[in-house]
Amino acid sequence: MKKVLALLLVLMLAVGMLAGCSTPSAETTEAAAETTAAVAGESDGTYRVAYIARAQADSFAAWLANAVMEEADKYDDITVDVFDGQANDDTENALIENAITNKYDAIIVQPNNGEAQRPYVEKAVAAGIVTITTNARISGIEGASSVDADPYLQAKVNADAAVEQIPQGANVVVLKGPPGNFHADARRESWENEFFAKRPDVKIVGEEIANWNKDEAMNYMETWVQANDKIDAIIAMNDNMAAGALEVIKDNPNFANILSYGVDGTAEAVLLIKDGKMTSTSLQSAYALAEALLSTSHKLLTGEETQIDIDIDCPLITIDNVDEFIEMHKKAGAIQ
Amino acid sequence: MKTTFDKLKKSNLMGTFSIYFVLLALFLISMMANENFATVGNLSNISRQIAVGTILAFGQTILIINGMLDLSSGSVLALAGVLSVDAYLKTGSLLISFIVGIGVAVFCNILNGLMVTKFKTPPFIATLAMMAMARGAALLYTNGQNIYQIGDYIVFGQGSFIGIPNPVWFLIITMAITWYLLNHTTFGRSVYAIGGNEEAANASGINVNKIKMRSYIINGIFVGLAGIIFMSRVNGGLPNGAGGYEFKALTAAVIGGTSFSGGVGTASGTLAGAFIVGFLDNIMVLVGVNSYLQQIVRGAIIALAVIYDIYFKTTRKKLKASKG
Repeated sequence: MKKVLALLLVLMLAVGMLAGCSTPSAETTEAAAETTAAVAGESDGTYRVAYIARAQADSFAAWLANAVMEEADKYDDITVDVFDGQANDDTENALIENAITNKYDAIIVQPNNGEAQRPYVEKAVAAGIVTITTNARISGIEGASSVDADPYLQAKVNADAAVEQIPQGANVVVLKGPPGNFHADARRESWENEFFAKRPDVKIVGEEIANWNKDEAMNYMETWVQANDKIDAIIAMNDNMAAGALEVIKDNPNFANILSYGVDGTAEAVLLIKDGKMTSTSLQSAYALAEALLSTSHKLLTGEETQIDIDIDCPLITIDNVDEFIEMHKKAGAIQ
Repeated sequence: MKTTFDKLKKSNLMGTFSIYFVLLALFLISMMANENFATVGNLSNISRQIAVGTILAFGQTILIINGMLDLSSGSVLALAGVLSVDAYLKTGSLLISFIVGIGVAVFCNILNGLMVTKFKTPPFIATLAMMAMARGAALLYTNGQNIYQIGDYIVFGQGSFIGIPNPVWFLIITMAITWYLLNHTTFGRSVYAIGGNEEAANASGINVNKIKMRSYIINGIFVGLAGIIFMSRVNGGLPNGAGGYEFKALTAAVIGGTSFSGGVGTASGTLAGAFIVGFLDNIMVLVGVNSYLQQIVRGAIIALAVIYDIYFKTTRKKLKASKG
């Protein structure tokens, strides 16, 4: 009897997973179909591209991977397979090696840690494969191309606005991404040079690493609110952390006029800007990156060009222009 | 001085209540280090911040006393929380979303329990497998994207009842349940017996598998509850949320004196362990300790707590041996 029950439960899990996920996993099925098509279509001139993502569990990386797959649908002669580096250098390096062995026509690498992937990207170039690094680029590899958004500039557009907006003698708190991460470090450096150097009157009353996470940022903000009667601005290296800090003070009248800055332009951030709760963010558009990645791949694969290094724009999003970005997220289904 | 210490050791006072002395000392030191520490607002914050991890820790405590553990609790929390948020958005019913959250986590834990009892998989491996599966399912279901605009769902984690935040109420309720189960039921006695000596427990007529399965089911209820509170608190469905929370929970249990060799542990000890970590994290941020140094301190505290635990356990054994 108990054995039957056990079997039943296992069966239920299997059915539940399939049924529960049928709608959102449509793309996965498509990807599987594409893989088959790729093998079949090799002879008729279809290019096979391996997209090696940093981590599918990272919401921006997942957004980018989804965008790349959608963009690939627009190209009849390109099929993309997505691989998950699981935020692990070793895994990511192994995936690059596998892609070389499997003779992909092009490999796009979104590094987990640029320096750790560098020798493997060099191997791909040496094997004569079209190689592109993205978000963040690994610079200085001969023969490799790159598509990226400049993290320094992403923070700078916010910092430039903040120089004007943040009041004299202000108290601010700073939320940082994981140490050693290229984007985390470059954005913080940008705030240092473009804001703090120009505004010596501003005091940092709290600075912590919240690892891009909303819940960690919340915990820090709750503590800072206890220790400081006056916090004038939240300076966060991404939108998740800014949103977490804002969550803490949303009903607190003492902080009703707080300024807050992020980077990424997530659905949540644009809604906060629309509500007047968040000051600004800069867009790191996965769609724009995906578009550039596919067009770059296509140009390189067809031999139109041999090396391309481009940066996408990072427009500042404020209450004045937020509607167009809400529209963008609505189209993508991220906002109802 | 030495004699007083020996007396303390002999009276076993330090052994039994050591963890509460540590908690009290930490509280007093923190109070002196920063004037904002011992305020009602700050203590309420700390309670809210530790609620999710501590509810998981009560589940871990029951499992560890039993000689098992749950590495999947962070991932199952995310899966249960995300599905619960989704159920709320689809039905508009807080009750249904609550039931879905608890149901999903219990279901995952029944699978954990089956792997451990039926297929004799070591709990470490069984729950490690579930950790990967549940996280994968949460990410697959949401396509790796966060769910926003969750409306009134935030009442579970952000509301309050007669001035006490809801997560703290949930913390108190789960603490009471754990304490009652461990101290006043046959189930509790069986849990300690199995952890102390599984073969002896079996020989004395305890249905070991049944108790183990029940432990996982109770753990599931707690994990589901934690998932609901977590998602509500962060005002979103985060499929990659609560990564590493299983270790937060294990840490609170171990600092609180729950022994990995089984048969030893209490609900109040785990609560004290959670508050020790909570106080420590809080005071380090208030004082502005370097972020990297914070990690070292956290690690050192775990090491000290376990060394302390083992030290007093061996002296107790020696005492017993010399008496016998």
